[in-house]
Amino acid sequence: MLSFEGVYRKRGGTFLADVLGDDPLDFWAGRFYVGVFGVVTISATILGILIIALSIAAQGDGDLARVTIGAPLRQYGLGFAPFYQGGNWELIILFATIAFVSWALREVEICRKLDMGYHVPIMFSFAISAFVVLEIIRPLLLGCWCEGFDLGFTGHLTWVSNTGFKYMNFYLNPFHAYGVLGFFLTAMVLAMHGSAILGTYNTNADPSVETANVDNFWRDYIGYSIGELGIHVLGFWLAIYTLIMSDLCILTSGPWVKDWVQFWHFSIPWFH
Amino acid sequence: MATVIARPSIPPMEFPAPNELDRADLLGMRIGVPIRVPLLARFGMSTQTGVIWLGTWGVLSTFFFVAGLAVLTFAGLQQMQGNLPLLIKYFANVQIQPPEGLGMAPSLQQGGFWQINMILWAASVTCWAFRCYERCVRFSWRPYLFFAYCAAILLTATIWLYRPLVMGSWAEAPALGLNSDLDWAQNFSVLWGNLYYNPWHMLAIFFLFGSTMLWGMHGATILATAAEGSHQEVAEIKDMHSGSHKSMLFWRWTMGFNANPKTIHDWLYWFSVGVVLSSAIGIIATGPIVKDWYVWGVDHGWVQQYGPITRSAINGSPQIAPVGINAPAQQGVPKGQGGY
Repeated sequence: MLSFEGVYRKRGGTFLADVLGDDPLDFWAGRFYVGVFGVVTISATILGILIIALSIAAQGDGDLARVTIGAPLRQYGLGFAPFYQGGNWELIILFATIAFVSWALREVEICRKLDMGYHVPIMFSFAISAFVVLEIIRPLLLGCWCEGFDLGFTGHLTWVSNTGFKYMNFYLNPFHAYGVLGFFLTAMVLAMHGSAILGTYNTNADPSVETANVDNFWRDYIGYSIGELGIHVLGFWLAIYTLIMSDLCILTSGPWVKDWVQFWHFSIPWFH
Repeated sequence: MATVIARPSIPPMEFPAPNELDRADLLGMRIGVPIRVPLLARFGMSTQTGVIWLGTWGVLSTFFFVAGLAVLTFAGLQQMQGNLPLLIKYFANVQIQPPEGLGMAPSLQQGGFWQINMILWAASVTCWAFRCYERCVRFSWRPYLFFAYCAAILLTATIWLYRPLVMGSWAEAPALGLNSDLDWAQNFSVLWGNLYYNPWHMLAIFFLFGSTMLWGMHGATILATAAEGSHQEVAEIKDMHSGSHKSMLFWRWTMGFNANPKTIHDWLYWFSVGVVLSSAIGIIATGPIVKDWYVWGVDHGWVQQYGPITRSAINGSPQIAPVGINAPAQQGVPKGQGGY
């Protein structure tokens, strides 16, 4: 326990307490908060890992970097595939989605306990959306689980490479370009923020002087200081922007656009 | 009983007084008047824009940057026969190509524009790095920002300068232009046997996605607890209040691990610097050291061999084994045959 932790650990404010009036799962296990959604998460995770272990054992390849649990073959469409021919993949995706969603709901409960905003579960929901779009929504739109993302270390790299070429040139996918822009922008803004704090903390000056120092540095350097709160607003929305672009990037490839090179061969009448 | 009170907000400070470093600078002065944009306050951002520091290095950097833009525009106009609407229409397709070999370009159109531009670019970013360092000294910052900026320069210099030097031709560098930049990235990957199997590329993407994830986590955590002042981080490092307590406990209860107001910024800083450092290693290794990342991955046992074609194709052998969807994968190929 952290020195101040006891003050904040209190029962109540959970989903089960709201519904049943009492929550038997409202406790901590070591550092971790449990709660009903913690139990769901850990159950789904154990089931998923069990399926992964069975699949690895069946493939008989001792090198975990090469093991790939592929999506079902095209012939199974949106139905159930035999266990070792993609049924394992379908179950892993199901349990992973359950685990992710209940993890987000567990975060909501912790936010309620600490009486703080719901920004983290909201952000995590956007991250889950990237997974759900890739593994569930896009295969549903294309009518085949075979369009899903293969699971495995180098297996998923091969999937990404092949999918890029399947749509001719993924670099010409505008959402891919905007997404990459978002990833690099987050990295750059992250470096700027990290440098500002690491560069100025504990300089034996008054904290207000240190803060003004940061503001005046950025005004001198680039003409604008976004401020202590503003930088976190910027980072938050940059991350959400990047995730939305990632969603659009993969969602449009296949259901709507078959060829990103051909995509640009349009003409605007008034532009001639 | 621990402190559970929220941090009171800190009033804004006045303008910094000039000091010796400012006076020693030839062009050292602040220009403009601060313009308030009240709208920005609605997004939690500072309303004050402006009063930028001029400084000798900043002026030089801006000069080189504008000169580079002018050369780019001129070269683009020349490619479009001086037709400005055509340049605007086909802006994405303008390509300023690098010359072959390491010498001077034979003409402006055959790489001269590219060389002039790269010199101006190098001068501009170098001057900006000096400006960054000079401001760090002026404000008594530890030079984290300077080193992060140098790491970013290192990556671009590896792509446009060091790797072409090692490979013996400026043509190894990307042409300047929107589409040519994308094409270079695509071709580079294909030419060197699929960059996805480059472990440094993997690491760079890990850091890149990790940077976005960390911004998501850190930004969301701070916004969720900003009502109790957790966003005043420099002050919180010195003296923690309830906002930071909640930020830390949230992650401790969620995933069993938490940073604190200081160490979270170590994570942020090194993840973002890790992107460019591992990218630079991945780029400089591609070509001079490893010719084919797929074959490299197969040889090192972490990539599956998808069919029999690759080794002979990479080694330039004219005999390519028959390929079919049912062709059995070649087993037992001796190691170290991977053309590098």
